[in-house]
This record gives sequence, structure tokens and C-alpha cells, in this order.
Amino acid sequence: MVINQTEQKESMLKRSWWLILLIIAFLIAPLVMSKFYLTILCEALVMSLFALSFNLLFGYMGQLSFGQAAFYGLGGYVVAMLTTKLQFNFWLSLAAGAGGAGLVGLIVGYFCVRLRGIYFAVLTLAFGQLIFVIIFKWHDFTGGDDGIQGVFPPEYLRSIEAYYYLIFFVCAISAFILWRIVNSPFGQTLKAMRENPERTEFLGIHIARYQLIAFVIAAAFAGLAGAVWVPFYRSVAPSYLTWIKSGEPVMAAILGGPNIFFGPILGMFIMTFVHSYILGFTHFWPVIMGTIILIIIFLLPGGILEFAKVKITERREKANIAKGQT
Amino acid sequence: MSFDVLFNQFMSGIARASLLFLVASGLSLTFGVLRVLNFAHGSLYMLGAFVTYTIWKTLLIPVVGFYVATFLGALVMGGVGIIIEFFLLRRLYARGWPEQLLATYAIVLIITDIVKWGWGGEFLSIPRPKPFTGAVLLFGFPFPSYNFFIILLGLTVVIFLWWLIYKTRFGDIIRAAAHDREMVSALGIPIPWLFTWIFVLGSLIAGLSGAVTAPFGSIALGMDVEIIVECFAVVVIGGMGSLPGTLLGSLIVGQVYAFGIMFKPELALAFIFMVMAAVLIVRPWGIFGRPER
Repeated sequence: MVINQTEQKESMLKRSWWLILLIIAFLIAPLVMSKFYLTILCEALVMSLFALSFNLLFGYMGQLSFGQAAFYGLGGYVVAMLTTKLQFNFWLSLAAGAGGAGLVGLIVGYFCVRLRGIYFAVLTLAFGQLIFVIIFKWHDFTGGDDGIQGVFPPEYLRSIEAYYYLIFFVCAISAFILWRIVNSPFGQTLKAMRENPERTEFLGIHIARYQLIAFVIAAAFAGLAGAVWVPFYRSVAPSYLTWIKSGEPVMAAILGGPNIFFGPILGMFIMTFVHSYILGFTHFWPVIMGTIILIIIFLLPGGILEFAKVKITERREKANIAKGQT
Repeated sequence: MSFDVLFNQFMSGIARASLLFLVASGLSLTFGVLRVLNFAHGSLYMLGAFVTYTIWKTLLIPVVGFYVATFLGALVMGGVGIIIEFFLLRRLYARGWPEQLLATYAIVLIITDIVKWGWGGEFLSIPRPKPFTGAVLLFGFPFPSYNFFIILLGLTVVIFLWWLIYKTRFGDIIRAAAHDREMVSALGIPIPWLFTWIFVLGSLIAGLSGAVTAPFGSIALGMDVEIIVECFAVVVIGGMGSLPGTLLGSLIVGQVYAFGIMFKPELALAFIFMVMAAVLIVRPWGIFGRPER
């Protein structure tokens, strides 16, 4: 068993060379990329973190949240209000954005984890819309449909390049933490609950409590994504909390593959770059997004990475058979 | 606060509940039998309103123009329902519910853009039809008589659905299929055929309810999300897939909305969700709902 583990670790190092290459690529990106593409890259990174937070619930816990954008938007609003109205410290505001979203996640999650499947989806959607409506209608406090403009990061983070590095480090560290979470005993328990809730309960595991913890973690990371995005975009608006926004991580997860950790990230990168390309000649983005969803559902069940994984294993098996024959 | 004000508010709550029931009943019916939660139900409602407006505008029949257009608009939406069920949903029944949900979500996005492209972003309306043009005095307060039309229509649909589900052979099949799909299929009843008709019926009711909102002067982009979220509250409170539950849920949400608006307009929707949360603490599956099997 011990030998097996060290072996696994070695093979993991061997297999993770591409991750190191990827990190280097991200670090030198500002030196070689135009400002336009760097901006899109920033958006793709932030949205990837958002998608990862969603996939903790969907891919690992097995529950589809259709209100994740509420936490993303809340994180953004907390930062916007703290920095513009109270001139609060920027770094503390980021933390407050994640914390605030996590706190609301605790309240919303308390009700949602009582339900499963489609009921969970509807309830998260309903609560997401409730938070959206409160922010949208409470004009005196949140600015209503005007949103909040003029959210600036501190002087040394004003340039796109500097802020890109902030986004990259926040997202990379968050992704690492989430990766550790899903591979910890806690993550294994989440997966067990996904596969067979009754049996897991018989093992003495309090399902609702575990799901609530996962829900709060997901809400906090979604809030962090929103919190780090808003000062870059310089403004926040209620549209950040709509169900259209909640649908984006769902789609990214389905596109990339919800059963693989990096699936939602790949999905979000594809979506963000396709989006910015399409906006060049048409404003009818939703119809294209809808068509893409239908194409994936019908042609690529399980997502791109799952499809690739199946193909690679098939090829390996074929190769093994060929080896066995000679 | 005097009785007449409260009564007036109560009556507008009933009218609101009636409209909510019209939309939510189709949603609940589809879910009860197909076990597919149709996110696009609100979009069918919105599209129904726009289609009815266009039919009304092109025909311009005097006096009964609105009723004719409403009837035709509902039929058109039934046709759209056939297309959606036959080409999309039918191919997804064997898959998990997340894919079905996502497919209906894709339809939401597509219909939104179709409406944006076809009708633009302006507010449209149809004048109130005779004999519901004026207002009736209720204890000295003017109450739009068109609201009575909505209430009457809601009652008609309640009775029609009750008759259909509990008094006909088709209704027996519907209830049996909601309970045990495989058994019904084993008895020689073609399930795909049943699903198509249920979805068409749901779409038809969605189109009808969209059409009758036209005289309120509120056909616009975004009306789909506005209504669908309240409808989700209705079915979550009442219990998804239950007709009596939908009726009770509509009445609760309608009244909470009507009195919430009087109390604090900005938070009227928030009150609805507070009631929903309260119901869920006591009964997680809704008042008339069954736990998921």
C-alpha cells in the first residue's frame, strides 16, 4: 500500500509536467499578449474560478445549483460598496467579499441541502433570484439597476498587467485549495454521498451537514471570483446575479466535463474566448450559447475531457492488446 | 386600515393568483407526468404573448379580435410545444435530469433571442376587450373589470384540468403514468404519445396565459423570467406535480404579493420567498408534494 502510494506520487509528477508548462505560460502571458487578449484572459480566469466553485457542488456533491451567480454577484457588490462608500482597505474587501458570500451561502444552504436533485436546482434558483431582486429593487442602498461605478483597485494594481497577476494568483491558489478539498477525505465523502446517499448515511455521516459545508465553500469561492473581478471591470451591476449568469458555469461544466477537475476550466476558457469573438459581429449571444448547449448534450455527453479520456483509454487498451499479441 | 382597502387588495391578490395558476399549472402538469422541469415554460408564455399580439395586429377583427387572437396564439404555442417535445425532449428521456434541465434552459436562451430579433425591446399591448374595458366599483374603489376575466379564465382552467385529470380515461392514464411509467407502458399505452400530448397541453396553457396578459400592457422582454420565478415559488410551496398544490400555492403567492406590495413594494417578492422558506422548513416537498422516489 505504502509503495503503491509513492509510486502514485511519482507517476503524478510525471503526469503533471503539462501543469507546470501551463503555469509558466500563464506567467509570461502579459509579456507576449496584447492588452485586448489579456483582458479576455483575465475574464476567463475569474470565470474559471466561478465554474470550479459551482462544480464542487455539481461534479463532486452531485447537486446542480442554478443560483451560483447570486454569490458571485454578492462578492462583487461587497467589494464595490466597501471600497467606494467606506474607502475600505482593498485586500480586506476581497476577503469580505468571499466571507459575505459564504455567510449568505450558509443561510441559503441551510434550506437547500434538505432537498435533492431537481428540487435542489429549483430552490437554489429561487433563492438566487430573491437575492437578485433585493439588490435590483433596493435602489437607495445598492444603486438598483444602475449598479455601482468607479470601483478602483489601489494605485499599484491599476495596470492590466499588474491586475492580471493578482487574478492569476488568486485563481491558482483557490484552484489548488479546491483541488486539495476534493481529494481530501471530505471530498471523498461528498463523492460517496453523490453515488449512494442512503449507504453513506448508514455509515454514520450527517449528509446535510457535509452538504452545507460544501455549499458554503462553493459560495465563498464564487464570492471571491466576483470580488476579484469587479475592481478590474471598475463596476458592478445586478445582471451579475441573474440566472443567465448562473447558467454559464453549468454550461462550462457540461462542456468541459463535470467529472474531471479541470473540465469546467476548459469549458469556461472555450466559452469566454468564443463569446468575445462572437461579440465582434453580433449581439445575439444567447441563441449561440443555447445552440452550443444543445450540441454538447446531443453529441458530447460527459463533456470534451470525458470524451478525450474515453478515446485515450480505448487507444491504450488497443495498444496493450497489440503488445500482448506480439 | 379599513375593510374596503383590504378587500380591494384581496381581490387583486385573487386576480394575481389566477394568472399565476394559469402559468404554473402547465409547469406542474409537465413535471408531474414527464418528470422534466421545463425552464422554458416562462419563455413559451412570453412567446405566446408576442405571437398573439402579432395575430391580433394582422387580423384586426373588430369586437372579438382579442379572443380570436388569443385562441390562435394558444394553438400556435401548442404547435411550438410539439416541435420542442418531438425534436429535443423525446431524445433526452433516457438521460439524467440535469441534461433535460439544461436542454430546456437552452430553449430559454434561444426563445429570448427570437423574441428580441422578431419584436425588439419595446413594450407592446392590446386594448382591453369588450365587455371588460372599464372598472367596477368595489366598496367605492375602482377595480379593473378585466381582472374578473382573468379570474374567470383561471377558474375555467382549474375546472377543465380537474375534469381532465380526475374524470376522464386520459386522466386515469396521466395519473397512472405519474405514479409508475413502466407499468403503464406494459399495459400497452404508448408513453411517448402521452408525453407529447401532455407537453403540448402545457405549452398551450402557457401560450394562453401569455396571450391574456397582453391587455395589461406588459408584453416585453424579461416577462418570462419575472413570471417563471414566481411560478417556481408556487410549485415549491404547493408541491411539484400536484394540481391542488398548484392551486393553493398560487393563492398563497398571489395574496402575499398583493399585501406585500401594500406594505413595502420593493420587498413584495422577498416576502414570497420568506413564505416559501417557512413552508420548506415544515414540509420540504411542499404542502401537497410527495418525497422524491
